[in-house]
Amino acid sequence: MKKEKILIVDDSEMNRSILADMLVDEFDTEEAENGAVAVDMLKKRAEEYSLILLDIVMPELDGFGVLEAMNSNNWIESLPVIMISAETQSSQIERAYNLGASDFIMRPFDASIVHRRVVNTVLLYAKQKKLINIIDEQVYEKEQNSNLMVDILSHIVEFRNGESGLHIRHVRAFTDFLLRCLNKKTGNYNLTDSEIGVISMASALHDIGKISIDEHILNKPGKLTDEEYAVMKRHSLIGATMLEGLEGQNDNPLVKTAYEICRWHHERYDGRGYPDGLKGDDIPISAQIVALADVYDALTSERVYKKPIPHEEAVKMIAEGKCGAFNPLLIECLTENADKIRSAVNADVAKKQMRATVKNFADAVLHSKSQGASERTLRLLDYERMKYNFFAAMTQEVQFEYVAATDTITFSPYGAQRLGIEENLILSKNKDKLDNLLGADWLEKLSKKFMETTPENPEFKGDCKVKIGGDTKWYTVIIRTIWSDDAPPAIEGAIGKMIDMTESHTKIGELTEKALHDPLTGLWNRSGSREQIESRIRNFPANKYAIAVFDIDFFKNANDTYGHLFGDRVLKEVSSRVLHSTRAYDICARIGGDEFLIFLEYKTDIQPIVARIFSQLNGKIENFDLHVSMGAVEMTDEKQTYDELFHKADLALYYSKQSGRNQYNIYNGSMEDVLLDSDISEILTPVESKEEDKE
Amino acid sequence: MDIKTCYEALGGDYDDVIGRLRNEKLVQKFVLKFPDDGNFENLKNALQEKKTEEAFRAAHTIKGMCQNLSFDKLAKSSSALTETLRSGDLEGALKLFGGVEDDYYCTVRAIGEYKKSIEL
Repeated sequence: MKKEKILIVDDSEMNRSILADMLVDEFDTEEAENGAVAVDMLKKRAEEYSLILLDIVMPELDGFGVLEAMNSNNWIESLPVIMISAETQSSQIERAYNLGASDFIMRPFDASIVHRRVVNTVLLYAKQKKLINIIDEQVYEKEQNSNLMVDILSHIVEFRNGESGLHIRHVRAFTDFLLRCLNKKTGNYNLTDSEIGVISMASALHDIGKISIDEHILNKPGKLTDEEYAVMKRHSLIGATMLEGLEGQNDNPLVKTAYEICRWHHERYDGRGYPDGLKGDDIPISAQIVALADVYDALTSERVYKKPIPHEEAVKMIAEGKCGAFNPLLIECLTENADKIRSAVNADVAKKQMRATVKNFADAVLHSKSQGASERTLRLLDYERMKYNFFAAMTQEVQFEYVAATDTITFSPYGAQRLGIEENLILSKNKDKLDNLLGADWLEKLSKKFMETTPENPEFKGDCKVKIGGDTKWYTVIIRTIWSDDAPPAIEGAIGKMIDMTESHTKIGELTEKALHDPLTGLWNRSGSREQIESRIRNFPANKYAIAVFDIDFFKNANDTYGHLFGDRVLKEVSSRVLHSTRAYDICARIGGDEFLIFLEYKTDIQPIVARIFSQLNGKIENFDLHVSMGAVEMTDEKQTYDELFHKADLALYYSKQSGRNQYNIYNGSMEDVLLDSDISEILTPVESKEEDKE
Repeated sequence: MDIKTCYEALGGDYDDVIGRLRNEKLVQKFVLKFPDDGNFENLKNALQEKKTEEAFRAAHTIKGMCQNLSFDKLAKSSSALTETLRSGDLEGALKLFGGVEDDYYCTVRAIGEYKKSIEL
């Protein structure tokens, strides 16, 4: 929690220091060496301090001077002052109290008394501030509520009159403004702020009697007949009667004032108005002013039957008595303040909107503190928890949370199930369990990393082996430590997750397998075998290797005669024979339609091995005579590339085909010459396009 | 020399100060600071220049510090001086100053010896 700040004002450094030392545990202190410095500090940031300890006798400006400055700046109301002095003269003490000092502490200081008084005074003022806020809010809310009711009521009337909602507001603002002008001008009426407030509010009700006037008359665009006018005039008395009928409310100032306004806002100062023909100041001032406001707004507003009259002209017309007879004092107020009225009326509209915003804001702030708000907070928390649980269940991650205060680690339900442990574990009591699961070594490393985190770098990551049941799984663990707001910050706990890497590893493995194998026979495919062969040569360059490639003779015929399904069977049969005739570490691949490759390791001579494999590939599959043409090549130099080897083996294969198929040949340089005689294009036909031919 | 002996030498009341400040370290800290305070110089200069008001403030501050530290002897003499200055009696103040000066130097000397003894 933030410490309250106390300002110590004393000209003796030692005295300030003694006081500061007494308070240092619970408060922040600042010091001023005389009254002038203190006032300067208060001017900059009076609201930061919770209390002032003030000496009396000081150079520049003494303690009384500081108190006087605090009074003239209104700081004294919210900032308590405790005088510290050796003064024992009661006149001095009296003077300090009269200037608003809260308390007195006599020198010499007693540590516990200073401490206790300071704490008490700070608490008292904090409580007082809180209470003032609460009362302010409640009064404001009540006022808002009645305002709202009045607004609704007057709106109903206006709505029926077909007037814009602004009329009431204008009348109200005008009334308020003129009442204040009047108050300044003369002491005759002596209206208090709250009386002005009541009259302004009541002014909104001046036309409620119109509610019972026939709509045809109310909204008649043309001039009213005498009879209609007589009906219309009844609205002032009707309004008054309505208010009179409010049982038990006759003494309520708002009702009383509204009654006056309703009944008499069409009276004239010269006694020629209605309904009672009151004259001069027999007409209550509230009604006089509303009458003027009503006329002014009627003139300056647009109506169905007229255009708005400019402000200056309207004022002139009223002043010249063209729109009725008014109290000369009011006319004076109007003409003297003519230039301010328009902006006052409009500003009030703006102020209203602002007040609404202010109110919303106040509500939000208030609600974040009181019960109404905590309900909302709980709801939000609930929502967040629901969201968290949902996502936690979706992600297949082991999520967990550690709370240092209780030494408890909590796993997400999925996480606990996955790891086969309880959702809640007290760490110190379950060390064995965690050691078994994660390994003691690793846990030690983890706690080291944990302690190395800082509020700036709270995250760390690591991989670990987890023993679940009999299996070992790989997990990546990500942890973020949570820090307190204290100074210095302390670890409050941590959150984290464990991501199962085993599954993603296997998945990647499976996909890689798929990409490198022939789906029909399960042998390597062309790129798979090439990768394997190159890596084998690279890793074990000293061994002797050979490559054999072969085609199935007349495979095209098998496909054509017996169909593709039979063709597939032949390919599967051939691959199983290949696997039979080779060793596990030989690399066997189907590299094209009916073209196969075998990569062999050998010790002395390749020829017998090739011969054996070749012979095992001959046979009969149903009516199809299976035999192959094969070419092989020995790797003579470790620098030979796969491409070179493959090319040579392919040449030998071609040689076998040229020599009448159903045979094998091992590459030698002389084959190149034979092949030179042949049709070059045939030799160089890429394997890929041969494939297409054959399938 | 311990702090209690120091208090005896300067005519102070150690039991009283420790009762109020509750912490020997604090008392020691402030006692050692006392000789560095400039108010006695201010008092002397103000009296020489016959500035009664300034002299009053300086005497008042010295009195306050002495009360806080329970330097009873100096507190008593500086208190009398303060009241005389408050009433504007410069002549009377000059008569009292000699006694304050004696008590002040006695206090500073005792603190000086105490300081030396704890530094050894």
